[in-house]
Amino acid sequence: MLKSDRGAAPRLRRGVAGVLGLAVVLASALLGSTAGTATAKDDEQSTLRVATATAVTTFNPFLSYYDGELNVIGNIYPSLMSLDQDGKPVPYLAESYETSEDNLTWTFKIRDGLKWSDGEPITAKDAAWTFNLIMSDPVAATANGSLVSNFKTVEAPDDTTLVITTKEPQANMLYVSIPISGIAIVPQHVWEGKVDSLKGYKNMEFPVVGYGPWILAGNVTNQYTTLKANKDFFMGAPKYDRLITQYFSNSDAAVAALQGGQLDQLGGVTATQFDTLQNAPNIKTYQQASDGWTAIEINSGAKTRSGKPIGTGNPILKDDTVRKAIALALNRQKLVDKVINGRGIVGAGYLPPGYPQFFWTPSEEESLSYNPDKANALLDEAGYTMGDNGIRVDPKTGKPLMFRFGIHSDDTGDAQIAPYVQEWLKAVGIGTKVEAMSFDQLNVNLSKGDWDMLMDGWSTGPDPTYLLSIQTCATLPLDDGSAGNTDSFYCNPEYDALFNKQITQFDQGERAETIKSMQEILYQANADIILYYKNGLSALRTDQVGGYLYGEPDSEGFYPLQNQFTNWRTAAPATGEDAAPASSQTGLWIGLGIAAVVVVALVGTVVLRRRATAGLRE
Amino acid sequence: MVRFARAYVQLPTGVVGALILVGVAALALSAPLFIHPSDLSVSKASGPLLHPPLDGYPLGTDQPGRSVLDLVIWGARPSLTIGLIATALTVLVGSSIGLMAGHYEGFVSRSLMHVTDWFIALPSLPLAICLAAVLGQGAVSITIAIAITSWTGTARLVRAQALAVEARPFIERAKALGASDRQIMLRHVLPNVAPLILVSSTLTIASAILSATTLTFLGLGDPTDVSWGTMLNQAFGQGAVTGGAWWYLLPPGLAILVVVLGFTMVGRAVEQILNPKMENRR
Amino acid sequence: MSSVEVIGQAGPDPAGPPERGPAARSDLPSYLAKKVAAAVVSFFMVLVIGFVIFSLMPSNPVAAITRGRRTSTEQQQFLHEQFGLDKPWWEQFGDFVWRTLHGDLGYSWGYQDSVSSLVLSRLGPTLLLMGAATLISVVLGLWLGIRSGWRHGSLLDRLASGTALTLWSVPTFWLGLILLVLFASGGVGPIPSIFPAGNMSTPGSGSGFTPAHILDVAWHLFLPCLTMVAVIFGQYVTIMRSSIIDELGSPYLLTARAKGLRDDDVRRKHAVPNALLPSVTVIFLQLGTMVGGAITVETVFSWPGLGYLTFTALKIPDLPLLEGTFIVFSSTVIVFNLLADILYRFLDPRVRQQ
Repeated sequence: MLKSDRGAAPRLRRGVAGVLGLAVVLASALLGSTAGTATAKDDEQSTLRVATATAVTTFNPFLSYYDGELNVIGNIYPSLMSLDQDGKPVPYLAESYETSEDNLTWTFKIRDGLKWSDGEPITAKDAAWTFNLIMSDPVAATANGSLVSNFKTVEAPDDTTLVITTKEPQANMLYVSIPISGIAIVPQHVWEGKVDSLKGYKNMEFPVVGYGPWILAGNVTNQYTTLKANKDFFMGAPKYDRLITQYFSNSDAAVAALQGGQLDQLGGVTATQFDTLQNAPNIKTYQQASDGWTAIEINSGAKTRSGKPIGTGNPILKDDTVRKAIALALNRQKLVDKVINGRGIVGAGYLPPGYPQFFWTPSEEESLSYNPDKANALLDEAGYTMGDNGIRVDPKTGKPLMFRFGIHSDDTGDAQIAPYVQEWLKAVGIGTKVEAMSFDQLNVNLSKGDWDMLMDGWSTGPDPTYLLSIQTCATLPLDDGSAGNTDSFYCNPEYDALFNKQITQFDQGERAETIKSMQEILYQANADIILYYKNGLSALRTDQVGGYLYGEPDSEGFYPLQNQFTNWRTAAPATGEDAAPASSQTGLWIGLGIAAVVVVALVGTVVLRRRATAGLRE
Repeated sequence: MVRFARAYVQLPTGVVGALILVGVAALALSAPLFIHPSDLSVSKASGPLLHPPLDGYPLGTDQPGRSVLDLVIWGARPSLTIGLIATALTVLVGSSIGLMAGHYEGFVSRSLMHVTDWFIALPSLPLAICLAAVLGQGAVSITIAIAITSWTGTARLVRAQALAVEARPFIERAKALGASDRQIMLRHVLPNVAPLILVSSTLTIASAILSATTLTFLGLGDPTDVSWGTMLNQAFGQGAVTGGAWWYLLPPGLAILVVVLGFTMVGRAVEQILNPKMENRR
Repeated sequence: MSSVEVIGQAGPDPAGPPERGPAARSDLPSYLAKKVAAAVVSFFMVLVIGFVIFSLMPSNPVAAITRGRRTSTEQQQFLHEQFGLDKPWWEQFGDFVWRTLHGDLGYSWGYQDSVSSLVLSRLGPTLLLMGAATLISVVLGLWLGIRSGWRHGSLLDRLASGTALTLWSVPTFWLGLILLVLFASGGVGPIPSIFPAGNMSTPGSGSGFTPAHILDVAWHLFLPCLTMVAVIFGQYVTIMRSSIIDELGSPYLLTARAKGLRDDDVRRKHAVPNALLPSVTVIFLQLGTMVGGAITVETVFSWPGLGYLTFTALKIPDLPLLEGTFIVFSSTVIVFNLLADILYRFLDPRVRQQ
C-alpha cells in the first residue's frame, strides 16, 4: 500500500478548502437570489398581516381558482356587484341595474368617474370586453367559464351602460360578478395584448394595474404577497397602509406565527388548534357558520347520460332501503363531537348553514338520525339475513353486503371518520373495506363508476347554482366516458325540473323555497349522506388589529360568513402598544444567542482539548 | 454455532440489542392477549379527547379518546411486519442478483451490475415516494417500494463475496465434477455468503422500518392502520404540534428509535464476530 | 482501499467509488470520457424508469386540474382533447425525452404552472438548507471522526459513536416535529417559542443581502438545519473514524513516530491527509443521496424548497410535478457521483502518478 505520498496533503487540504469555500459562496449567493420584489420596509407604514392557506402561482384572474389567489384578485380588480353583511348582492362597479320584461336582458349602469390605477377611466367597455373574452376564449374560460355559459351577448353601448342578454332567464345574475368568488373585471387596454399568451401569463408585473381597495405591489414566490392601500377607493379606503398575505404551507407554523405576533389574522385552523388558541393571550378565536359539508357518497347505480350502466358499483346499493339503513346507522352527532371537537353542526340538508336563506332541515318524522335498531329492522324486513360472520347477505344473489369505502389519503378528516363509519355499519351487518386513495385515483374510480361508497366534501359561494347542478342528469358522462361532471351519478328528473325552475325564479323567496324542495329530494335519496358542516375556525390578534370582523355574533357566538373583501378594508390597527415587532426581534436575538453560545462552546472545546492533548503528548 | 453464541454474549451492544428485540417481539406478539379490539375501537373509546396522561391512560389519549399506550404497543405489529417482509423481499432479490452476477461471467454479469449501478444512482426516498404514489396507498405498495429501492446494497455485497468464493479451489473441483450452475450457486456459494446476507439483512430491517415510517408519515400509508407512522401522520395533520401534544408525538417516535437501534446493534455485533477484521475498529 | 463501513446498508451502497479496475489506470481524458458516458447512460435510464413508473398509473388529469372548481361539461371536454392522451406510448416517450432534454418538465396539475419554473423557484432554498447542513455536518463529523478514530475506545469515541448511532436511528421528520414542539410552539412548559415554526423569512424583513434579511433567514434556517445535521453527521463520523483506524497500523505512521514527531503532528500531517482520501469521495457520494432527506425536513418546517414541493405533489398526486422532482433529484445524484469519481481521480496519489 503506497500511502505516504507527501504531496497529497497540501493539495488535499486546498481541495477541501475549495469545496467548503464554494459551498459558502453558493449559500450566500442563494440568500440573495431568493429575495424577490418585496417592498422596502418602512416603519412609518401600518401593515395588516394575514395568512393564506394556498400558495400563489398566478394573479391571472382568468386562470386562478385557489383561495389564496382569489382573495387577492377580488381586492385588486372590481366586479359589478359586491356582497353586504348578509351575503346579499349590493352595487359596486354597477350603480344600478334593471331587467327586461322577459327577464332575458339585464342593463347595468356603470359608475362614472372611477379610474384604473394607471389613470385610465373604468368604463362599461372594460366589463363587456372581459365577459366576451371569457365567453369566446376557452383559455379565458378556465376559472369562470361556467358562470357565463347561459350568456348570449354582452355589449357596452356607451361608457356607462352594460347590457347582458341571456339564453334563458338567469336568477343568479347578480352573483356572476362579485369579488373573490365571481368574475373580476380587468382593464381592456392592459389585457388586450395578453390574450394570445393568456395560458402562461401570471400577471406579476408590479404594481399591477387594477382597481379595488388594494393595489397589488409585489410577490415573493411561495412566501408572501404585498398589497398597498388604495387611498381613493370610493367605498372607503382601507385603514392600513399595507397588507401582506403570507403563505403557510403548514397550519402549525401559521398558528405559531399568530402566537408570536407575526400575524394578525388566521383562518382555517383545526379544531385542536382552535382549542389551544382559545386560551392564548391577546388572541380572539371566532367561529363562522359553515360554507360547506363533509359527506359520504353512495353509488346508487352509475350510468351514462343515455342510461347505459357503467362501472363495478355494487348493485345492492341501488336498493333505497340499504342506503336508508346506512344513513340511520351513522351517529353523526358523535362525529361532530369527536372528530371536530364539537365545532360543527350535524349534517342533513345539501346546502350549508352559512347561507341561512337556503338552509334546509328535515322535519322530525323525515329525520334519519342515529337509530341502529331501526336500521337493523329495515334490513331484516327487506330480507337481508345476517350471515355467520356478522355480515348480512342479499337473499336474491347470495352475495354479502360488503362495500368498498374510498377515502382521500391526504385528508386527515377522512382518515378519522372512516373507522367510525366502519364500526357503525358493522353493527348493522354491513361490511366495509376502507380504501385510502389519492385524490386523483378516487376521481378516476368515481368517473368510471368503479366505486361503492366515497368520502366527499364541497363548499360553495353565496350562489348555490353550481353545487346544485352537479346532482343533475346533465352532468352524467357521455357513453365514451367523457364530459362527466357528476358528483355521485345521482339523476332524478323531478330534481332536474326543480333545478331548471329555480334558475328562472327572480323572486329570491320563491327560489329559496324551490331549492329547499330540491334538498328534501336529495335527503330522501341518500346518495349523498351529509355527515356534518364544520364551522369556519379562525383567530385574530386583538392587541394588534381591530375592526376586522363585521356582523354580530348570533346567540351561539357564530359570526356570519366573513369576506376578505370587507374584512381587509375595515380592519384597523389596534390602539395601544404594538408589541409584535419587538417579540419577533426578541425571538431572533434569543435564537442567535443560542447559536452563538453553541459556536463558542464548540470552539472552546476544540481549543481546550487541543491544548490539553498537546501538553499530554509532548 | 456455540462459538458464535459465546462470542456474541461477550458483546454488550449485541446483548442489549437482542434483549430489546426480544422484548419488542414479545410485546407485539402477545398484544392481542391484553389489548382487546374494543380498546382500539374509535366508536367505543371512552377517554377524553387528546388528553395528557391521566389515570387509566398512562400515555394520554389520542383524538378519538383511545389510550396512546395501547396504540403504541399495537403499532409494533404492522411496523415490524412491513420491516420484515420488505427485508425478505430485498434479500431475495439482492442475493439472487448478487449470486448470478458473481457466478456468470461476461455479458450477464456486466449487465446485471450495470442495472445495479443504475438503481444505485437513483435517490432512494424520491424513488420510493414515486413508486408508492403510483402503486397506490397502503402497506403493500410501501413494502414493494422499499424492496425496489434497497436491494442494490445487498446485491453488491453478495456479488463481491460470491466472486471471492468462486475463486476458491473447491468451486473449481465442483465444476470439474460437472455440477450445474444452479448447484454451484445454491449448494456451494450461497452457504458461504449466507452469514454476510444475515448481517446485511439485520441492518436492512432497521432502515426498512425507518423508510416505512417515513413513507407513512408523508401520507402514503393506509391512514386507518394503527401503526407508528400513521400515528405521527395523524398527529401532524391534526395540529398536535400546536396543541403541544407531546404525549401523542413522543411515544411512536421513541418506539421506532428503540426498535431501529435494536436491529442496528444486533447487526453490528453479528458483523463484528463474523468479520474479525472489523473488530479492532470498534 | 478497504471497504468503508457506513452505518446502515440501506439505500445506495456507499462503499466507495465503484469499479476501480483498469479504467482507473488509463489516461485522464479517456477516464473522464468513460465516466461522463456512464453518467449520460444513467441519466437516460432515469428517464426510462421515470417514464415507466408514471405511465403505469391510470390517472385523470382533467379531474386533477379541475379539482374543486366550477367547470362545465363543455370545459371538461375541451381539456380532455387538449391533453391528447391517446397517442401511442413510443410517441409519448419520444416527446417526453425531447421535452426533458430541452428543460421542459411538463405542466403541473396542482400549480397550473410549468414544472421547470416551479423547480427552479424552489432550488435556491433547498441548496441553502442542504449546503448549510452538509457543511456543518462534514466539519463536525470529520472532526469527531478523527478524534474518535485516533483514540478509539476512549470516552469521546464511545460517546460520539453512541450519539451518532442513536441519532441515525431517529426518524428525521420525528426529530423535526419534536424540535418544533419544544422550540417553536410555545406550548410545552416554560419553554418560550424562540424559533419560527416554518417558512424561510418574515415578510417585510427586506431582501437581498441586507443584514436584517440574512439574519432573518438564518433564524428560520436554524431548526431545519439542526435537524438535518443531527441525523447526517453520524455518517461522516463513522467514515472518518474507520479511515483513521485503517491508517493507524500503517508503517509510515510508525516511521513518523519513530522520528520523534509529536502525536498531534503525526495525526494532522500524516494520518489525516491520507485518511481523508476515502472519506472525501464517500462524502460526495452521500451528498447526492442526502437530497432525499430534504423531503421530510422541508415538509415538517414548511421550508419552501424542492422537498416540500415533492410533498405537495403527493397530495393529488400531481404526477408531472412528481416526475419532474424525481428527475431533478436523480440527476443531482448522478452529477455528484460523477464528481466523486473525478475527485477521486485527482486525489488518489496512486492514480495520479500513472
